Amino acid sequence: MARDDARAPVTGKTRLQAAWGSNTGDEVEDIGMAALPKTGEIFNQDYKPWTGTLNPRWMRNWAILRHHLFGVFRKGYRPWGMPTRIFLVIVFIASLTDAALTLLSGILGSPELHQLWGVNRNNLYGHNLGFFPRNILYYPIVTALLVGGVISEDRHHGTSALYFSRPISRFDYTAMKFISVALIQSLIILGSYILFYFSEIIAMGRGWAWIVDTFPIFVAGLIAGILLIFTYTSLGLAMSSISRGRFFPGIGLLAFLFGSKTIAAIISGLFERDILYLLSPYDCLAHVGQALVGTQLSYTQYSWTWSLVSLVLMNGAALYVLASRVSSMEVTRE
Amino acid sequence: MQSNDSPMSPKRFDRKAAAVAEFTMKQYTKRISTWVILSVGLLAVSIIMLFYFDTMLREIEAVDNDYDSFDPDGDGYPSGQERLYGTDPYFSESHPGKIDPSILPDDPSKWINEDDIDWDALVVGSVGYDDDGDCRNAPIAPSAQDGNRDGIACNVRINENQFSGGYTIRGDGYVDEDPDDEIYAKEAIHRATILALGKFGFVFLIGIFLPLFMATGLIRDEMESGTMHFLIAKPIRRAEIFLYRLLGFLAITYPYVIVMSLLCAILFGFSGPSDSVFRLSDIGIWMVIAFATLLAILVYGMMFSMFGVLWKHGIILAIPVAAWELAMMFVSLWEPEASVLRFSVLGWATMIIDAGALMLWPDMEYMIEVGMWGGGMAPLQGAEQLMVFSSNPGLGLSNFSSFIVGSVVLLIQALAFWFVGSALFSSKEVA
Amino acid sequence: MTPQQQMPVVYLENVSKVYGRIHALTNVTLGLSGGVTGVLGLNGAGKSTLFKLLMGKLKPNSGTIRLFGEDPWKNPAPYARIGFVPENEKMYDWMTALEFVSTFARLFGMTKDEAEQEALRVLDFVGLADVANKQIGRFSKGMRQRTKIAHALVNKPELIILDEPLQGCDPLARTTINNVIRELGKSGCTVLVSSHILTEIERVTEQIVILHHGKLLALGNLHAIRERLDQIPHTIHIRGEDSRGLGRSLMGHPAVFGLNFPNEHELNIQTFHFGQLHQDLPKIIVEGGHKVELIDNPDDDLESILGYLTGGQSHAK
Repeated sequence: MARDDARAPVTGKTRLQAAWGSNTGDEVEDIGMAALPKTGEIFNQDYKPWTGTLNPRWMRNWAILRHHLFGVFRKGYRPWGMPTRIFLVIVFIASLTDAALTLLSGILGSPELHQLWGVNRNNLYGHNLGFFPRNILYYPIVTALLVGGVISEDRHHGTSALYFSRPISRFDYTAMKFISVALIQSLIILGSYILFYFSEIIAMGRGWAWIVDTFPIFVAGLIAGILLIFTYTSLGLAMSSISRGRFFPGIGLLAFLFGSKTIAAIISGLFERDILYLLSPYDCLAHVGQALVGTQLSYTQYSWTWSLVSLVLMNGAALYVLASRVSSMEVTRE
Repeated sequence: MQSNDSPMSPKRFDRKAAAVAEFTMKQYTKRISTWVILSVGLLAVSIIMLFYFDTMLREIEAVDNDYDSFDPDGDGYPSGQERLYGTDPYFSESHPGKIDPSILPDDPSKWINEDDIDWDALVVGSVGYDDDGDCRNAPIAPSAQDGNRDGIACNVRINENQFSGGYTIRGDGYVDEDPDDEIYAKEAIHRATILALGKFGFVFLIGIFLPLFMATGLIRDEMESGTMHFLIAKPIRRAEIFLYRLLGFLAITYPYVIVMSLLCAILFGFSGPSDSVFRLSDIGIWMVIAFATLLAILVYGMMFSMFGVLWKHGIILAIPVAAWELAMMFVSLWEPEASVLRFSVLGWATMIIDAGALMLWPDMEYMIEVGMWGGGMAPLQGAEQLMVFSSNPGLGLSNFSSFIVGSVVLLIQALAFWFVGSALFSSKEVA
Repeated sequence: MTPQQQMPVVYLENVSKVYGRIHALTNVTLGLSGGVTGVLGLNGAGKSTLFKLLMGKLKPNSGTIRLFGEDPWKNPAPYARIGFVPENEKMYDWMTALEFVSTFARLFGMTKDEAEQEALRVLDFVGLADVANKQIGRFSKGMRQRTKIAHALVNKPELIILDEPLQGCDPLARTTINNVIRELGKSGCTVLVSSHILTEIERVTEQIVILHHGKLLALGNLHAIRERLDQIPHTIHIRGEDSRGLGRSLMGHPAVFGLNFPNEHELNIQTFHFGQLHQDLPKIIVEGGHKVELIDNPDDDLESILGYLTGGQSHAK
């Protein structure tokens, strides 16, 4: 069968290959005929190939994505645990404190307070990358709670078989899990970030001149936030892919984030050497973020490009682990 | 079966305890994750230790704290020597070579670390001695020899600070102004490292993450997998199962902590600054650190195991708890006496270490105050570290009382979590 | 004799258990002592709930449960005299059979040595002595089930409860396990076995308890129950040389209300009075001089009884 014959009905065999193999399922391949047994025939097996047309790849992937994404809001989709959902709401509200303070200072009309709370370079940086409380109590925990149930729970309950026995490739499965976790975080982190920026425009009646001035900083902060979400997600999903429990990936992620940060802080405090901050994902993100947004760098012993390289390496290693674990995942109840 | 020898009689408790604990231990040893976690803990402590060895093995550069080894006027005489002979250090035509009999210039290194601190406790009164004579023998006015205006020339005056409760050190000019950096820095960094490692390496990293990884599933994992049915269908109370499972957890983690602290005690003891080969006096602080860590593991173990019994998603509660404790770790660095620390296990455990350190190193306050005074100029190397990582136990109690109070509070917390966990588990329907 | 000793080993009075809005057990009253009893029901009939209530894992919403006269909820004392084989498949795969059995033996207060001796004894009893030092993870399904049974026997229990011990076992394993259960019944224990596969139970016991939708449908001897169902037509299947001749002889019998001939050599008799017909049948055959190869009552297995008792709407899967 020729490859250009894209509208040909996808037959059952190809579908099976799509399900268990690593291709996308849209490729139409030659179907080999199994040799008939020479001796003896036990029974006749009639196999009726499925003659329907397979939905396009994006539609199948969207089904996975919305299953995870909408589960946060309503029933009938992936049931995220009640504590997880409550925590997401709490973090979202807590993330909006800076937007609320901006509005408040606008209403009070106090320029001093607005200096402190309103949109400026430091506050835009701080919204996504501030350490306390945002990167201790909010965002890492959100990621930890989300990644816990994504791949490891599928392995634990054997529900990965439900995906892999359908025309979904493992790459798509992983990618959709990744995107859904990242999107839920984006809604919270970047959503509140954007609201913060707009609350300034509304509260202070900012005009185009101000927007033109601050927009590059806003975008830089946005990129830093995306980097944060991407890094936390890939680390968390890597943890999720190597474990079975619902709980292990979450603590694994926190142990890595907090442990590396703690050790680096101890070393830096005792011996005045910052080099171990390169092993701490949060500090690498903060360093790169500071450089992007243009606030004062708090890591002075090496250039921010080192942090960027370290981030790239961390993400690369995490994605490699994720990819290799998912592609070698046994589709059984473990 | 006689009634006094029934399986429920108290004399059979020890056998059941041993059986469950032994079984739990074996269960841990069969899991890869246990070994990964224990090795990562060892790795984390070794990283800190490596940096410490690096610092201890390197020679700490002697700093000229009073800048008198320099020769600002370029006449070849360091400014300390010029001041000793009353010549003008900033005028090249005025130097000790011009006076009679002519004096040869000193090697500048002679004016580094030339005036060590001569007292070793914070006693209110007049202390200090001008070793290099650049205060006693310099031809300067008597009023210039008594810069702190206590009526005694060339001394250091220690007063109690009425406001902060600490001490104020005011020295006359050029008295004890250039102490030996190496001795001070090594001692201070040695102590600061032990405290940092104890409070944050042991109590925080090991103390919280071992229970987090290992104790949360003690009851919950068995209930999820259904193997709990084997255990609870035996003549053993649920409260006993809860306790004995935890004993098995402790039987793995306690030897680990004890071995780790022993290892640290040996390595730090041999490499720390000391007159003899081994710093025997540090054994005490390592015992305190091990003790505080063991208590922290006990409380967290009970707490997380209790979360697991609480409800299906109960162990998720442990995640915010871990984050809260991390936040408290930073609070204890920045604001060691904040009362919010009393709402964390870490706060109480570090209080034990702080109190123990102050009991075992009674000169700690002296080390910090003197280091921060640093001869009246900049703080000495290591002083700031020591100040950050050592703190007063808070609560305004004596060190010994703080030690006891911290231990008792942690034990009560452990008992409370055990009580709640057992009670919950006993009345739990295990479907 | 104390009142406790007069009480049956297992005693339930008006026990109900509700999970949310699902009535798992409704007003079950039951007393059992001695012998093997099969607990029968479809999936979700309440068998496991019954056992979990007995083992103190669940608290009844109402009613009284007594094991050896004691309430098992929050009271592990009666378990000293009970062996329980849970339904769950998960075991500690890293343990050897000997470790598994002896670890749990120690929970009865035995010393390590005693426990090991007992473990070897019970492993021998279930026929696993030669693999006692192998890891459970390498065992087949039947061996795992037998290990589970062995672990429940270490305390020489007076009551043994087996929750679906035959589930997922191959015929060979079933035979072995059935033999073990029969052996236990003979030794004087009270044995409770649950199953939803009726032929399995049939091989080990005549005494059954039938649960359906959480209600106790029937309790007693398999055949006694059968007798009580006389209103329901039963079929007797006969194969012989002259089926029509036999049919003619039977026509006049008051218990027979229907005859049909699937083929020349076979005859199906419908009756409302199964017992009576069974008594008379040999006489009729002998008197009529009929040659009969086989008499079979295909209905007289537990499956069809359950079908009748539950209104014929379901057969066990």
